[in-house]
Amino acid sequence: MRRLLLILGNDVRRHLKAPWAIVIFIAIPLLMTGLIGVIFAPRSHSGQLPPIAVLLVDQDKGLASKLILGSFDVDQMKKMFQVTVTDEVDGARRMKRGRASAMVVIPKGFTLDLLEARPTTLRVVKNPSEQFLPDVVEEFMATMGVMLSGAIQAFSEEVKGLRLMLDGPVERIPWETLGPEFGKAQKKIAAAAKYLNPLLIGLKEEETKAAGAKAQSSMTDIFSIILPGMAVMFLLFIVQTLMRDLLSDREDGKLRRMLTTPVRPLEVIGARILGGWVMGVAILLIMVAFGTLVFHVNWGPFGFFLLLVVVAAFWTAAFFALFHALVRNRNQAGALGAPIILAFSLFGGSMMNPEVMPKAFRAVGIVTPNRWFIDGAALVREGRFPLASLIVLLVSGLVLLALAVPTLRRRALV
Amino acid sequence: MRRIQRILHVAGNDLRLMVGDKVFFFWTLAFPILFIFLFGLLYKAGDNAPAVAEMTVVNLDQGRWGSYFIKKIEAPGIAVTVTDKEPAEYVRMIILPADFSAQIEARRGQALAFKKRSGASTSAAARVETRLYQAIARTISELVLYGPGDLTKFLDGHPAFRELVVVKGEFPPKTVTVVPSGFDHVIPGTTIQFIMMMVLIYGGIGVMEDRKKGILGRLLFSPLSTGELFQAKLLGRWGLGLLQALMLFTVGKIFFRLNLGSVPLALLVIAVFSLAMAALSVFIGSLCTKEDVIVGLSVLLANIFAALGGCWWPNEIVPQAVRVVARISPAYWAMDALHKLTFFQGKFADIALPVGVLAALAAVLTAVAGRSFRIRD
Repeated sequence: MRRLLLILGNDVRRHLKAPWAIVIFIAIPLLMTGLIGVIFAPRSHSGQLPPIAVLLVDQDKGLASKLILGSFDVDQMKKMFQVTVTDEVDGARRMKRGRASAMVVIPKGFTLDLLEARPTTLRVVKNPSEQFLPDVVEEFMATMGVMLSGAIQAFSEEVKGLRLMLDGPVERIPWETLGPEFGKAQKKIAAAAKYLNPLLIGLKEEETKAAGAKAQSSMTDIFSIILPGMAVMFLLFIVQTLMRDLLSDREDGKLRRMLTTPVRPLEVIGARILGGWVMGVAILLIMVAFGTLVFHVNWGPFGFFLLLVVVAAFWTAAFFALFHALVRNRNQAGALGAPIILAFSLFGGSMMNPEVMPKAFRAVGIVTPNRWFIDGAALVREGRFPLASLIVLLVSGLVLLALAVPTLRRRALV
Repeated sequence: MRRIQRILHVAGNDLRLMVGDKVFFFWTLAFPILFIFLFGLLYKAGDNAPAVAEMTVVNLDQGRWGSYFIKKIEAPGIAVTVTDKEPAEYVRMIILPADFSAQIEARRGQALAFKKRSGASTSAAARVETRLYQAIARTISELVLYGPGDLTKFLDGHPAFRELVVVKGEFPPKTVTVVPSGFDHVIPGTTIQFIMMMVLIYGGIGVMEDRKKGILGRLLFSPLSTGELFQAKLLGRWGLGLLQALMLFTVGKIFFRLNLGSVPLALLVIAVFSLAMAALSVFIGSLCTKEDVIVGLSVLLANIFAALGGCWWPNEIVPQAVRVVARISPAYWAMDALHKLTFFQGKFADIALPVGVLAALAAVLTAVAGRSFRIRD
């Protein structure tokens, strides 16, 4: 045991002397988590999207177009849309350069058409390089169209009067008959106000997960969701790099020289696997510490999470012990190692949320350590004990170890 | 002429060695295609978006207004499923409470619970939500039109709602004619990301190993000068980027009906971008002495540049401040140019700025890489 610990201590010191690769691999998940968190973190205003650039071409310059312009001027809409009023030539030029998400064109005669209850069309020219924001503008305008249609029909009598006032000279307006008409309009406005404040039918939105309901995530939640996936992905990369000694010692003849001393093969193999495990735990704990200090990540009960970290690092060390026992040389290890890690990460949910993956891909994810670590971390975050993850990682880790040790021993003696 | 031949010979040999690597095609073709497939499905848009957005309505209403309101929600792009109890599985769901009719008839305001599954299609959710707001607006308009009468008799006869304002969505003239698919967005991004990653990793490690093993030193016994050797290394890595782009664009064209706009201009963008990455790879290879450090640094740079440059997600959803910072990423300029070609059928004048920036970056990086290029450690 003493000899095993001596080899382990020597390995750790050796790796600490040239730490740049490990430092970079630890930095990558932290930087990526920070970047993804900043981009996808919920914003305090108007949901998830940044302000949408909209160009508004008013060819009508009438009452109805002013109403549409005014609708963009409401506080909530100002946060959602950045409106620039322009003419069609300039608008088309800007759209061609992709300077706005959409251009709304209010046609000439729009107000008159509405006053005469004639169908009319609003054009929404959409930026083809954008996937979501132009549709938001189109849907907003469609809702606006419904409201305008409704308002025109509800106040059709009053609108006719308005039409008369707009068209004819002042002397032709029958002022004496307008009194009762204003009275009727007042009643309708009062009735409408009753339906609008508070809204007769409103929506109370909530985003839910598969089983129960959950409110919108905070920025800390986003970091807490992303970091475990990133951490386990780069844990695999780092442990693979650290445990490459199992191969290089054999290839360089160091192992043969070591075995001329009283050291037994099992002690060398044990030291390497224990080293991968211990350093794996240390690396995950460094990421946990950074995550806590910089991103205020919520890991849940720390004891549970530590247990998950220890078991995940054990699985990783056991897996790469078997991997390095099976591959022939460093080139083969380099060629196969990274693709395996990336496949684990892609299917296991380190690169994208498994919920949005095709079913077949999700099924493959079950055989990856990433999936069990991410699921376990999610349970711990909710304060629950990650029993299934621990059992799966521990049992499969022990199986890998049981396969790895005799194979490594056999190859060490060859 | 012979000088050019010598440079081409060494560059071609470098390219042959890189292509001959066992996992070259996994990294340059198989893995990017897996990425394209998964992310193309994830960011489905346009013709790949769900043709019909699902909507479950739990109708607990004791009166007649519930059914009337459901009819208002129904539309060609929305599949409405009506049920009388809350299901365990749903994508999005609205609950009409037992007193839904009673509240309307009493002209009292109410808020309906509208639940959305996280991770479901954003555009489908927006379609349903808008339809709900439109249904509410239509219902309220009819009520205003109906006046102060008894609302219990409303459904026996009332004035019908007419769509006076129609909204027509279209793309700018001389741009795209069909709605771009998710793959049109994902393939250029994945190509740019993997060119960065592969050119930096393969290129950087190649330069470092050639130097450490003394291959660069031995090559100088040939008529090659140090400058020519540097040019050959640069050219080999540039060829790698071009080759990868050609493979991915061809696969994209055949299997995903990728629309690149002008193919020669798209290749020009890739050529200038690859040159910048080739220079960066020679610089990294000259600077670093360990393979793991080169891999780590390349993965770090490629991922950060890709994320900032809009290779992973549409730049439109990124906060303004990040969009400004993104300009430091070469991927941002390459993606900007490819977007102009793909979605706006851009001409050379439209991509002159991003290509100019990339060319300037390539020139600076080539100068820096040239200065740091070493024959021996």
